[in-house]
Amino acid sequence: MADWNAYYPKEDDEVEQEEGEESVGDYKSSGRDSLVFLVDASKEMFIKGEDGEPSNFDMTMQCVRSVYTSKIISSDKDLIALVFYGTEQSKNPRNTFKHVYVYHDLDSPGAQRVQNIDSLRGEEGAQLAAETMGSGQTSLGDALWCCYNLYSDIKLRLSHKRLMIFTCRDDPHGGDSTRDIRARTKAADLKGTGVVIDLMHLKKPGGFDVSCFFCDIVSPPEDERELGLQLEPCGKLEDLKNRVRAKEMKKRVQSRLTFSLGDGMNIAVGVYLLVKTATKPQAVRLYAETNEPVRTKTRLFHTQNGSLLLPSDTKRAQVYGKKQIVMEKGEVDEIKKFDDPGLVLIGFKPMDCLKLHHHIRPSLFIYPEEEQVTGSSCVFTALLQKCSERNVFALCKYTSKLNTPPRFVALIPQREVLDSSQVQAAPAGFHAIYLPYADDKRTLDVHDCPTASDEQVDKMKQIVHKLRFRYRSDAFENPVLQQHYRNLEALALDMCAPEAIEDFTMPKVKMMDDRLGPLVQEFKDLVYPPNYNPESKTAAKRKQADAEGAVDKKPKVEISEDELRAHVAKGTLSKLTVPVLKDACKHFGVRTTGTKKAELIEALLAQLN
Amino acid sequence: MDVGFSMSNSGPGQELAFEQAKRVIQKFIQRQVFAESKDELGLVLFGTDHTKNPLAEDGQYQNISIYRHLMMPDFELLEEIEHQLQPGSQHADWLDALVVCMDLLQKETVGKKYERLNIALLTDLNTLACADQLDVIIGNLKKAGITLQFFLPFPVDADAEGDGGGDGAGPQNPPPGGKGLSREQKQGLEMVKQVMTSLDDEDGLDEVHTFSEAVKKLSIFKPIERRPMAWPCQLTIGSSLSIRIIGYKAVCEEKFKKSWAVVEAESHQKDDVKRETVFCLNDDNETEVEKEKTIQGFQYGSDIVPFSKVDQEQMKYKSDGKSFAVLGFTKQETIHRHHFMGNQVLKVFAPKDDEHAGVALSSLIHALDRLKMVAIVRYVYDRRSNPQVGAAFPCIKQKYECLLYVQLPYMEDLRQFTFPSLENNKKFSPSEAQLSAVDALISSMMLVKEGEDGEKEDIFKVNSIPNPQFQRLFQCLHHRCVNPGTPLPPVEPWLKRMLDCPQAVSACCYDFLKEMKRCFPVKEVLQKKEQKTSAVVFGKNDEPEAKKLKLDEQDKFSLGEISEGNVTSVGSVNPAKDFHTLIQQKTISFEQACEQLTHRIEQLLGNRRTEYYMKTITCVQAFREQAVKTSNAELFNNYMQSLKKRVPDWNLQEFWGLLAQDALTLISKDEVESSSVSKQEANQFLLFEENVEAAAGPTPEDGGDVDDLLDMM
Repeated sequence: MADWNAYYPKEDDEVEQEEGEESVGDYKSSGRDSLVFLVDASKEMFIKGEDGEPSNFDMTMQCVRSVYTSKIISSDKDLIALVFYGTEQSKNPRNTFKHVYVYHDLDSPGAQRVQNIDSLRGEEGAQLAAETMGSGQTSLGDALWCCYNLYSDIKLRLSHKRLMIFTCRDDPHGGDSTRDIRARTKAADLKGTGVVIDLMHLKKPGGFDVSCFFCDIVSPPEDERELGLQLEPCGKLEDLKNRVRAKEMKKRVQSRLTFSLGDGMNIAVGVYLLVKTATKPQAVRLYAETNEPVRTKTRLFHTQNGSLLLPSDTKRAQVYGKKQIVMEKGEVDEIKKFDDPGLVLIGFKPMDCLKLHHHIRPSLFIYPEEEQVTGSSCVFTALLQKCSERNVFALCKYTSKLNTPPRFVALIPQREVLDSSQVQAAPAGFHAIYLPYADDKRTLDVHDCPTASDEQVDKMKQIVHKLRFRYRSDAFENPVLQQHYRNLEALALDMCAPEAIEDFTMPKVKMMDDRLGPLVQEFKDLVYPPNYNPESKTAAKRKQADAEGAVDKKPKVEISEDELRAHVAKGTLSKLTVPVLKDACKHFGVRTTGTKKAELIEALLAQLN
Repeated sequence: MDVGFSMSNSGPGQELAFEQAKRVIQKFIQRQVFAESKDELGLVLFGTDHTKNPLAEDGQYQNISIYRHLMMPDFELLEEIEHQLQPGSQHADWLDALVVCMDLLQKETVGKKYERLNIALLTDLNTLACADQLDVIIGNLKKAGITLQFFLPFPVDADAEGDGGGDGAGPQNPPPGGKGLSREQKQGLEMVKQVMTSLDDEDGLDEVHTFSEAVKKLSIFKPIERRPMAWPCQLTIGSSLSIRIIGYKAVCEEKFKKSWAVVEAESHQKDDVKRETVFCLNDDNETEVEKEKTIQGFQYGSDIVPFSKVDQEQMKYKSDGKSFAVLGFTKQETIHRHHFMGNQVLKVFAPKDDEHAGVALSSLIHALDRLKMVAIVRYVYDRRSNPQVGAAFPCIKQKYECLLYVQLPYMEDLRQFTFPSLENNKKFSPSEAQLSAVDALISSMMLVKEGEDGEKEDIFKVNSIPNPQFQRLFQCLHHRCVNPGTPLPPVEPWLKRMLDCPQAVSACCYDFLKEMKRCFPVKEVLQKKEQKTSAVVFGKNDEPEAKKLKLDEQDKFSLGEISEGNVTSVGSVNPAKDFHTLIQQKTISFEQACEQLTHRIEQLLGNRRTEYYMKTITCVQAFREQAVKTSNAELFNNYMQSLKKRVPDWNLQEFWGLLAQDALTLISKDEVESSSVSKQEANQFLLFEENVEAAAGPTPEDGGDVDDLLDMM
């Protein structure tokens, strides 16, 4: 397995790779997101709250930091900038604006930037901010103009532009109408280029009055759903602080295929993944001395003469029944080819024919592609509606790509679902469920088991009832991934220890015990005899096994040379156990690198033949 | 196996019993070889010209020879059988042969562990057997626990029918040669019945098979053997309630056990190829660095954080070992079918020897079933593996009850994509007429039919179809091994048929599809930007532009054909045109051009779809035109005749109908003088006798599970 896969990446890897490339696939949603934090640095921002509450500035930095760290993991290509206004010092690209301090230019965030922000937090942070930037005159108009320039300097395609103003002053210019007007004009300019301006108004004694100035600056809410200004300041901040450590996936079509209903009736569909096991991001190999990434090159050599072998200089082989069978690489691919890529309708079956155990891979999602074949959506919609009404699924033969053997899938209809606020909770389309072949089912020896009495079942029903909860598919975070991301964060930001994770997969034992109360004991009394302990039984067994193992860890196994040769002659070497084979290898002085059975046998055969 | 005189003597038009028996053995060995079965087998021939067995003394046990001793089957044996196994000219007592086999089994299994001893006897029973020792033999078979199977050229009840009807041949099962059984055969059959029923009263006769049915069933390669692994654990609810359980993988995508090794093209030696992986810096010189001087890192935003394997191991999430802990219970309907994750389904039972655990688990299963709920559990396979969250469904069957465990997604696995609404979009919403066309189509294409007795019958069971990938691979491996140097064969027709819409359905949905086509205007769009790919997207190839580079040599070749330029061979895009051009260019001979064209025709026909048929018709037309022009009727006529023979097997009736419409028949004398076909023959050629179709291809999947039978062998 190893040598083959190392050279030709596994199918799965290819899929992975496909997702990484953003250039192919759906062009509509490409481009990067961008976000500019425009933060007020006036004295008011640094005033600490009562009861030692952190200052508004401190809270803002917390928010900014969590957005940075979230972005790094979810979509590290997005651009973020941090700009302060109302500062004493100025720092901006052409230094044309006074009292505007561009702390971070519009760029993708990294560890350094997070550390910079860390240094602005807390007591020392406030001091540092006072030293480097200070507080001075305010001109929001200049600040917005500066941001405008930041955007126009970016040569990349941006899909979404957003500017967030953090301030606790509802009248920043103190009634200076010229500066107010100037700010409004610049805000209009920005909005004209597609930038969405958002306000994060912070706590202010006496309340923050949006209507007095900022209502003319910010973008109007996109629709009723976005409550925009009505939100309590804290609520929005909490939202921002809520850190999401999950890689955001751009909506991309996996492939576009023909869906053939038969007799030349073809429509076009796109295949999407709505669920896919998220894995740790790929590791990169670095040169230890400089920490720069290295590339890997794999080459094939001829062992005898050392010449470089091209792929065409090799063939593929398998050994069956002591015979090597050789094929060309092209033939190996050809064997896998049955049909051209596509979905072919076989027929329909009632929904109850799809059993729970018909599951071998996560499902796909199928949606029409009107751009490829006009009329597809209409046929698709009709099919979807009727399948759903009649409670049937469509059985299809699915060939995902060239030189791939077919699989059968059940297309189950999914009508569009909207949530209470009219947002799409589930899109309309077909879910394609992979169906197992005969080879994928395993035969198990089932044995008769006693059936529980009604009394026992009823007791268990009470237990089940006590432990009811509402399952939501997004309620569980993957602790392995979360731990990995936190470790990475800790290393990148030179933290002494990674942030602790909450492992949602662990049962809340204490809570469960409390809820169940005496029920557990009552149930146990009903089903278990007094001295029965389900835990001790296996434990005892294992201990016993361990004890035996300790006495005679390696049972001596030996086999005579004659016997061995007989096995070789008959091709029955594989009937021997691994320890016997290892022993035999030692006996004949065969050096083996592997410990797998096949490798041992190969080595022995080489020696004895 | 009986190789005696009568085995290679049969009536005219009948395949030799010898050849049939040989094929049964070959197919059986093939299956064993590819399933990498550890079973050993020997081969004893009787009716051979010479004698080679340890029991032969004083004229006893003559003409019986042990061809191969008990050992694992391999390709060598297959080749020997293919090329060396010859019919003999003698007769031998099949009971004697049986005794030799028993002796072989007994002597050569000494000191070996085995599960079963079995003798399969292939004979036509045409030799009178000496019944004296019958009781002793039966006794010994029983004592040694040897099971017996008979393979005969005729069904076991042929004899009974013969007696009843008087003419010796039932209408469905004509015995070989169309004549009744010989006296010896009748007598032999009686003895077979006697032996079999005395070994097993009730089902003894089930182990008597005919050659033809055996070959049919053996054609499907055996699925790869997998023993289910038990996973003992405890189901826990809270801290103090635990139930001992055993989990098994019930459904899991089966992959190849073997992978392809890379070998040197000339020597075919694996050792001649050495792979070397080097690391180099991203500079102009591609400076190579040693592996030891590299470390692992991860991207963190715009930075790369060095994170060695050791550190990673130390800091990573650690689970505390095996677990099947209930987190809570929830309504079944909150679990979506399309949220099933992972690639397996586990079945969870109570241990066999623990009835208390059985009762406890049973209460849980029934409680969940009655409440329509599932358990959400934390599942960890072992210390080294990652924890999963999944759902355990109750599953109550007639024979057993268990929990079905399926993994559910983590938050990170879900992708919240939104799609434009379909049903609220006026542009796409179907009219009443369109909806009823779809409704009718669904009705005509239902794969589950309710019989008269209310019993539902599924005519397309995916989970009884063998994975075509394995079947095809084994077919090709076997072909390459037995016929080296020849190109790979096409996919076997029975396999292709098995993967297609069942004829019963495709026949009755035809009209409704027509109606669909009428109702829904669909039109393919060629996009400017992707013109090149779109042309092939439709029905051919959906790889995006960037991927093109990765395509293998084969595809580059066909791409080369597509691009304009001189035609060097008959391509797949416009074969008829290429063919004409080639004939005109005279770069290759007429025969060669025809061969290339017919190759394309076969490929096109392999798709069995109407759109390809039209292309195929133009090919046949071109072939015919050029054949008439060059006065070379023979090639065309021969090919058409061979094609006609394949119509039933390849399911090409529809195509043949189109040929008939276009009157593309044989080239008669009237058109080309040298033709041996008369005008009348040519006219009749396209008429297809209905009965040919009726006689064609019985479905291979009928009659029970293949493995039940063959596992007994």
